[in-house]
Amino acid sequence: MTEIVLDNLGKSFGDFTALKDMNLTIAQGEFVALLGPSGCGKSTTMNMIAGMLEPSEGQIRFDGKPMNGMPMARRGVGFVFQNYAIFTHMTVRENLAYGLKAQGVSRAETQRRVGEIAQLLQLTDLLDRRAAGLSVNILQRLAIGRSAVVEPSIFLLDEPLSNVDAAFRAVMRQELKSLQRQFKQTMVYVTHDQLEAMTMADRIAVMDHGKLLQVGTPIEVYNHPADTFVARFIGAPGMNLLDGRITGGDSGPVVDLGAAGHSGPVTAPGTGPVIFGFRPEEVHPDPNGPIQMAITMVERIGARIILHLAEGPHVAKAVLDAETQVPDQGGMIRFSVPAASVRLFDAQTERAL
Amino acid sequence: MTDLTSSLPTETAPEDQGKSESARLGFWLTLPTQLLVLFIALFPILMQLYISLTDWSPLDGIPWYRAYELWIGLLNYIDLWNDPRFWGAMWRTCIVMAICVPAQFLLGLGLAILFVDEFPGKRVLYSTALLPMMVVPAVAGYMFFMLFQSGGPVNNILSFFAGSPVTIAWLSDPNLALFAVILSDIWQWTPLMFLILLAGMVSVPQDQQMAAVLLGASWWRRFRTIVLPRMKTIIIIAIAIRVIENFKVFDNFYIMTGGGPGVATETISIHIYKVTQQDLIWGYVAAMALAILIVLSVVSGLAISRMRKAS
Repeated sequence: MTEIVLDNLGKSFGDFTALKDMNLTIAQGEFVALLGPSGCGKSTTMNMIAGMLEPSEGQIRFDGKPMNGMPMARRGVGFVFQNYAIFTHMTVRENLAYGLKAQGVSRAETQRRVGEIAQLLQLTDLLDRRAAGLSVNILQRLAIGRSAVVEPSIFLLDEPLSNVDAAFRAVMRQELKSLQRQFKQTMVYVTHDQLEAMTMADRIAVMDHGKLLQVGTPIEVYNHPADTFVARFIGAPGMNLLDGRITGGDSGPVVDLGAAGHSGPVTAPGTGPVIFGFRPEEVHPDPNGPIQMAITMVERIGARIILHLAEGPHVAKAVLDAETQVPDQGGMIRFSVPAASVRLFDAQTERAL
Repeated sequence: MTDLTSSLPTETAPEDQGKSESARLGFWLTLPTQLLVLFIALFPILMQLYISLTDWSPLDGIPWYRAYELWIGLLNYIDLWNDPRFWGAMWRTCIVMAICVPAQFLLGLGLAILFVDEFPGKRVLYSTALLPMMVVPAVAGYMFFMLFQSGGPVNNILSFFAGSPVTIAWLSDPNLALFAVILSDIWQWTPLMFLILLAGMVSVPQDQQMAAVLLGASWWRRFRTIVLPRMKTIIIIAIAIRVIENFKVFDNFYIMTGGGPGVATETISIHIYKVTQQDLIWGYVAAMALAILIVLSVVSGLAISRMRKAS
């Protein structure tokens, strides 16, 4: 277990800045997800922690020890690659023993530890099978076991579920999470899938364009996104963001949404342009609601209905229970958003107000 | 309407018939070409087999197809078995192979290791390293013939380091001549080995090597446990190609030494050339050619079966 500190970390390739001013402290035994779209700098960050890349700026510290310039073999980092990078020409046992042999651990000790880890990961029956042709969840366990057997203090996982089909991903997520609980190692997990981050991580670090936008627990990030990017990126579908103006109403300030009407009373500093945000799940159909939008599409997906809404320049989505009575496509819907669910963002900086 | 639906199930039958009919037609239409191809492939070998069982020679004044008049059965093969010159040529071919193939393999592998990573000037050096392979073998023979003249550059350089004139007669000393021709073969064909091995080395997955590094493996362990095993198939191919090619070395040997001095550099190809053109005992040559074909088939058969096992 190791505490990882990223101190003003930056990386550029020629003129291209892949990462800038990254400050993040990952506590001992914590599971942190680096989340963002491709090209956001999450993999660059991870590769620098592993030592595959040298930072252009800033420092990486493990338990206070600077890691800049430290060769990757001596960092005590276990790395699970996107495609697992299993040595397919070897048996499961040879894969598991690889790191121990490389580090000169005695034969008897190697045998004991390989046996232990195989037991833990339920690989004992497969030890003498060749790794080629094993199924993907076994490959994942093997990849984790191969790294875990040398007892790294940090585990880095680079989108390990991106090659797995959607149905199986839920199983793999569960398995991965329970493995992390068993090993209690500090884990950094890179992903572009917000669902993976939300379901597994203790904390999520949302990144975009080489910048760290927000760090927090999944619920914090979901409920209080720091800016419009995070608001859109987290949640499926993401948060609705409508351009509006804060004006004084009868009972306090409201957000004027033009053709779509206006919001209920909000607490806002001053007046002027603002971005009005609310989760699709927080749409409450209400014949007397202050907001009115046209329904452009109705998607019924079993337990829920997703409405695609548009009005003037605004587009939004609403997620409702399957039992809710809704007008057909082309109809209008009036709704309200509870005051507690409204998130306001600065129209210029797009930061949360 | 009813007619149409009732005819639906039976419709498949004539279609099937049509299919097999067209397949049969295709067979008859392509038969002449297939026979021709078979004939082209097999005829020379069958002709050799036929001639090899006779004592036929062009000097006898009868056409080859009447060679049966000189039928001697397996006598050519028995003679071959007892022919010291044939076995000598075989032995020298094996020596050439035993030196050339490992040398080319190790040099090629070393070059591949150097060239697998990026470095400035790589492209120019890469093209340069491949150059010998593009030289016509006869020209390579001529180049090495010039290099190893007693007044040639090799002796010049040796003189420079020795401080006194060196006049080694490379190509007329039986031991040195073999050394010189072997060197020319290594020079010319190491690039091919390099090219094949580099292609194999580049295809070894990067992430597996990276995973090995992260597990604490040294360069040598990585090379031994990841890179080499993953190159197994391509290594077998490269070595098989060179073993077979080494049976065929001719051009540079013929130009540098003509197989001499004496028979010091007479490999199997040069031996066959001499027996064909000088001794004119063509039945015997046919027997020799077939024997070599069998040896090479066994060698490549072994290589292929090893490869199947490896993959």
